[in-house]
Amino acid sequence: MVKGQSGGFVMTPHKVSICILLQVYAPSGQLSVPYPFDSISQHNRLGLFLIALTKSCDDILEPTLDEFLKLLKEFGVLYNWLTDHVTGRLSSLSSPDDLFTFFSELRGILAGLETSIIDDDQINLDPNSNLGMYLRRCMLAFNTLSFEGTCHLLTNIKTYCKEVFSPYEMSHLDDASNDPEAPLEYENMDLENIVLQNFTEELESRKRSNERVPFHNHSSKALFSLVEDITVSPGQKVKRNHRSQMQTQPPSVESSDVRTNWQIQGYMSEQADMIEKLGSSFPMSAFESVLKLLQKVAPELHRVHFLRYLNSLYHDDYSAALENLSRYFDYSAGMEGSDFVPPLSCMNNGRYEIALLTLGMTHFHFGHPKLALKVLTEAVRVCQMHSDDTCLAYTLTAICNLLSEVGISNITGIMGASDSHVSTSMSVQQQLFLLLRRTLKRADSLKLKRLVASNQLALAKFDLKHVQRPLLSFGPKASIQLRTSPTNVCKKLRLSSQLIHQFDNESSVVTIDGALSTSWLKNQRKPTTTLVFPPESGPESNRDTFYSWLQSSSVPGSVLQLVGSSYLVSATSWELYGSASLAQSNALLFANCFADSSSSADLALAYGKLIQHLAVYKGYKAFAALKIAEAKFLSVSKSGILPVKLQLLHERALHRGHLKLAQQICDELGVLASSVTGVDMEIKTEASLRRARTLLAANQFSEAASVAHSLFCKCYKFNMHVENATVLLFLAEIHKRSGNGVLGIPYALASLSFCESFNLDLLRAAATLTLAELWLLLGPRHAKRALNLIHSAFPIILGQGGLELQSRAHIAEAKCYLSDSSISVSEDPDIVVDSLRQACEGLEALEYHEMAAEAYYLMAIVLDKSGQMEQREEAAARFKQHITALENPIKPEDPLVNLL
Amino acid sequence: MGVNKQNCRNELRTAIQQLNDRCLYSASKWAAEQLVGIEQDPTKYPPSHTRLQRDSSSILRRFHCTDEITSTPIAGTSYVSTPVLEEDNGDVDSDLYVLAKSYFNCREYRRAAHVLSDQTGSKALFLKCYALYLAGEKRKEEETIELEGSLGESNTVNSEIVSIERDLAAVRKNGSIDSFGLYLYGLVLKAKGNENLARTILVESVNAYPWNWTAWLTLQSLCTTIDTLNGLKLHNHWMKDFFLASTYHELRMHNESLAKYDYLQSTFGSSNYIKAQIAKAQYSLRDFENVEVVFEELLRIDPYRIDDMDMYSNVLYAKECFSGLSYLAHQVFLTDKYRPESCCIIGNYYSLKGLHEKSVMYFKRALKLDKNYLSAWTLMGHEYVEMKNTPAAVDAYRRAVDINPCDYRAWYGLGQAYEMMGMPYYALHYFKKSVFLQPGDSRLWIAMAQCYERDEIRMHEEAIKCYRRAASCNDREAIALHRLAKLHSELGQNQEAAFYYKKDLERMEEEEREGPNMVEALLFLATYCRAQERYEEAEVYCTRLLDYNGPEKEKAKSLLQAVKLAQSGFP
Repeated sequence: MVKGQSGGFVMTPHKVSICILLQVYAPSGQLSVPYPFDSISQHNRLGLFLIALTKSCDDILEPTLDEFLKLLKEFGVLYNWLTDHVTGRLSSLSSPDDLFTFFSELRGILAGLETSIIDDDQINLDPNSNLGMYLRRCMLAFNTLSFEGTCHLLTNIKTYCKEVFSPYEMSHLDDASNDPEAPLEYENMDLENIVLQNFTEELESRKRSNERVPFHNHSSKALFSLVEDITVSPGQKVKRNHRSQMQTQPPSVESSDVRTNWQIQGYMSEQADMIEKLGSSFPMSAFESVLKLLQKVAPELHRVHFLRYLNSLYHDDYSAALENLSRYFDYSAGMEGSDFVPPLSCMNNGRYEIALLTLGMTHFHFGHPKLALKVLTEAVRVCQMHSDDTCLAYTLTAICNLLSEVGISNITGIMGASDSHVSTSMSVQQQLFLLLRRTLKRADSLKLKRLVASNQLALAKFDLKHVQRPLLSFGPKASIQLRTSPTNVCKKLRLSSQLIHQFDNESSVVTIDGALSTSWLKNQRKPTTTLVFPPESGPESNRDTFYSWLQSSSVPGSVLQLVGSSYLVSATSWELYGSASLAQSNALLFANCFADSSSSADLALAYGKLIQHLAVYKGYKAFAALKIAEAKFLSVSKSGILPVKLQLLHERALHRGHLKLAQQICDELGVLASSVTGVDMEIKTEASLRRARTLLAANQFSEAASVAHSLFCKCYKFNMHVENATVLLFLAEIHKRSGNGVLGIPYALASLSFCESFNLDLLRAAATLTLAELWLLLGPRHAKRALNLIHSAFPIILGQGGLELQSRAHIAEAKCYLSDSSISVSEDPDIVVDSLRQACEGLEALEYHEMAAEAYYLMAIVLDKSGQMEQREEAAARFKQHITALENPIKPEDPLVNLL
Repeated sequence: MGVNKQNCRNELRTAIQQLNDRCLYSASKWAAEQLVGIEQDPTKYPPSHTRLQRDSSSILRRFHCTDEITSTPIAGTSYVSTPVLEEDNGDVDSDLYVLAKSYFNCREYRRAAHVLSDQTGSKALFLKCYALYLAGEKRKEEETIELEGSLGESNTVNSEIVSIERDLAAVRKNGSIDSFGLYLYGLVLKAKGNENLARTILVESVNAYPWNWTAWLTLQSLCTTIDTLNGLKLHNHWMKDFFLASTYHELRMHNESLAKYDYLQSTFGSSNYIKAQIAKAQYSLRDFENVEVVFEELLRIDPYRIDDMDMYSNVLYAKECFSGLSYLAHQVFLTDKYRPESCCIIGNYYSLKGLHEKSVMYFKRALKLDKNYLSAWTLMGHEYVEMKNTPAAVDAYRRAVDINPCDYRAWYGLGQAYEMMGMPYYALHYFKKSVFLQPGDSRLWIAMAQCYERDEIRMHEEAIKCYRRAASCNDREAIALHRLAKLHSELGQNQEAAFYYKKDLERMEEEEREGPNMVEALLFLATYCRAQERYEEAEVYCTRLLDYNGPEKEKAKSLLQAVKLAQSGFP
């Protein structure tokens, strides 16, 4: 019945009510202002309203009668008359014949083509006008209906009318809980209640977080038109969206207002974007029930399985994800919903390689790198077999991502000999580098712009942390500096963010299945609805234009996401290269401009970076920011915020001398990482470094050294040389603290050379400082040398270093002066006192009792020597304060302890 | 023994009448079958009475290995006696009831319901609701066809369910509901998806009136795990044994199921139903010989039977019995060609003939008649695999799996299809599913092992594990032992290789098979024994090798010389 109809235009009760209004608007043979209207403007308003309604007629979901009648409230005085008229007409349709008469009456309001005499006073609909076309489509759709179809329309109209009074009657889902006669003793009732309760809690928590942090409120309310029901503009109204889904979708789907395949595909791809963006904060159970319903209604629509897969993937339900993934690909054979046109040769064989690619990425997501690699290798093989170059390019990119994210010490045997892209004689890193370059080339030749950009990004990441070695094992070697090259990184980052321009200039955008139709509708509807319903306030629309260049539909979300992540990578690169301010500004840029298009995990990362920056430069004011971020990412499991919080707390515990607490926090941080080798390396190194620091703070030197040593071995095994620079510096620090300067110096020097080859300027300054301190430890003879070293590091330390580093440098400088016999402090105390004072300020902000005590102690000595007794007393008092604070660590009123 | 036959007979006779009275025809059919199935005492009755129950158990027993199935534990159970219902009869009411019943018999359900609309008796209420339910079902089917849209919409629901549920819930609340009403209530609740309540209600129903087999079947469809089955509070009645036997079969506990049927056969000795069920269980245990015997017997007694005949056709297919299959196909075609089973049998026949397109056509017809016909989906998948149309095969198998996730054949088919497409690693997921469901089937283990062995992935360790499982569960084709030996020798694990070659050799000797495998095993063992300096053994193997022609013979000769030399050199 539906099949044969033009473009899937199906008569529905909602359309019938629009037709009723059309009849009101243009009653046949009436004068210019027909009966119920007072003025021409009122009449025109109804016309505009009707145009808006007909434009949205291809929406997937139609409003229920109740919602529809609410729209009519706009018409003030006429509201009662209109609603009565519509409901009256609808309920008067009681037999198929009534419908026939109704539609033949409708024909009368169209101006016939043959009637040449057009009376100005009469209102007739031009058959070629918007409304006229709509009417004709409706009439055609009705005329092609079989008798059964007419009967169905009639029953649908009846339920449509009934829903006004009991909107939930049709919904299956609520039946059990609504039925007053169902006995309460059965367990499934309780279950349902629990589910419901959970859901409302979820909503509540979202509401709360939304109230506190209005991050997502950029989009204008003009978009938020009343007719629009499920179209989702990014980020804006998660809460509303789900509420409306829960309420409107189930009944509407039930009453067979389902639209064309195309539109539902569009709806689903939008939802898929939402899931990927929001991650685990997407309400799982609610959406799952919607999907189940959709699946029941439209069993041939396989995309539903894919959405169920995504949903379970982002809620860490491994088995369900796997199950739905294989089901989706079994049904669709990878032919449905991909954004590139498959080569002809594959048309009848299916494209199961995409299944493999997706499965590989799923394993990667769940932290099973070995399985992922095996699956991806198979994907490569199948792609080659079917010569599916596009998929091959994507697969290779996925492999690159895997290799660069996961610590793998040896891939021979995993990749196998069958993969010609990797020869086995080289190290993992060299293989990765080759693979990256080839993938980039392949993507470039296939003109897959997004892929090219993401490959550039991957190369930038690689260059950031790896020194390029000559690949030739024999023959002439060009002299290569054994350093990383920041310019390369920068260049690649720029190239990858060029992507946005390419997409901005393009007029036609590749869209996935039906996404275009809905986004087009959205854009079309905007002006029309604002005409009918004037925008509520000025500033909101201003904000809208500010963001419009990013949100304009010509730039797809995935492109924005890529561009956003290039900013994130450059923030990281500046962090490593030691420019705190540039890192901060990049992170800020990301958080401001790409918050809507990027995934919540990326956003959490950016927030984490900003918070850490605050903590390093401003002390513990960062906790206020942390609280905000925590509220925002409340429901995100695996969010980047939790490790940041633990790191901050650990830092603070160490500074204040709460070693037990520090130990506990360390353990918690370690637990966050997966137990699989090679996965979550960042958190793992961070945790063991912090464990070593805690041990050092407890003066357990040998234990700390052994932890650091094993960490060094691990980093070396997985080629994490940037981390090794830090570890080596820390080893030097241990020797310094244990008073063994001679042993410490080689470590400091090694760290220095690492820093140099990886261009880690800030860390290099820190290493220089440590080296100076070590020299100083060897005796006053070396004070001069130490002082020179400190002065050479000063520009960077003062410019980019955090509070702690600066204070340490100041103290070290002061110590140098004090131990240098050629300088008499008592004569010129200011050179020392000044820097000491600065050190004290910084350390007090950090509540770093131990070092603050040291600084005050030194200050007191200097002041004593220079005879400033009053100030000396003050410094001594502060010294004592800090010492007592250090000795009695836990204060009961400490508010941050219960943050944990 | 077990159940008193005479009591049984009386109970069934009353039940048939009552079920017929309520138009529960398939239940009454089943009951009547069992009634006739109760073995008569041959001394009391002339042979004409037992036409329909010619004794086949002698044949059965020949094939039966009684020692593996024990039926003892049930001997001590005491059965509850359920009082037979009293009928309520008013004169005018019963006239109306008869009218409604006649309408019902003419399939005018709404009319029947209308006649009874003012009646209050529980019998009338049941028939009214039941007629409404059937009317709704009929309408639902029609609507499904009318509304067949581009999305394959199937959102048609039985529109009567809500009102029926309301009525029955009210009656149940005031306590005047009878067991038939409860059955219908359970049916309606199941259709609404309220499974827990449906289960409770159905248990109430069968406890109050155990002879309604359709109620038991509905209950069975709600017991998908052994835990739910054990959680049911059922009275002990001999009908419960039928239920348990059937449910055990659905839960793939075939031996338990067989034991139950064996026990039931002591009373219902000539029940065709039980025979077919036993055949079903044996089919699942891949005991094809027995199944064939049973079905031949069944067809002789009941030549127009179509139920379960698709399974018989599968057996004939597996045994490549062309004529038998074509005879069967012809028979069912003449009896009723629009039964899904008939189409399936014809499909099987064409498949055996290698005419896969035609075969697919018949499976499609079967699925049109019953779109939840599990084995047709699976068999169609097999056909598509034969036609090298893997995407279609995958689709068909997947549908089978979605209908019943326990169908290990479809999971296996999926694995096979993916392996064919050169995706062995992906296929493993499906093979794992299938061996999980049917861990005792060596074919599945071997298929999985071969997948692990594929050149693309070469996971030999895992392959060895699979072959071991296959070898331990009655590997009929004896592939596993040979492969195990070969894999071990490839991995350089000579000791294990020798162990398995020896076993393989023993097995070949026992089954009197010859062939290249034999030569290979002998050669390996001879070389191995020599290397281990077990010269006497080596000599034995070498001499046996001399029986064969070919290059191995020469090798054996030189080996033998070397062995002799070694023996003489170091006495």
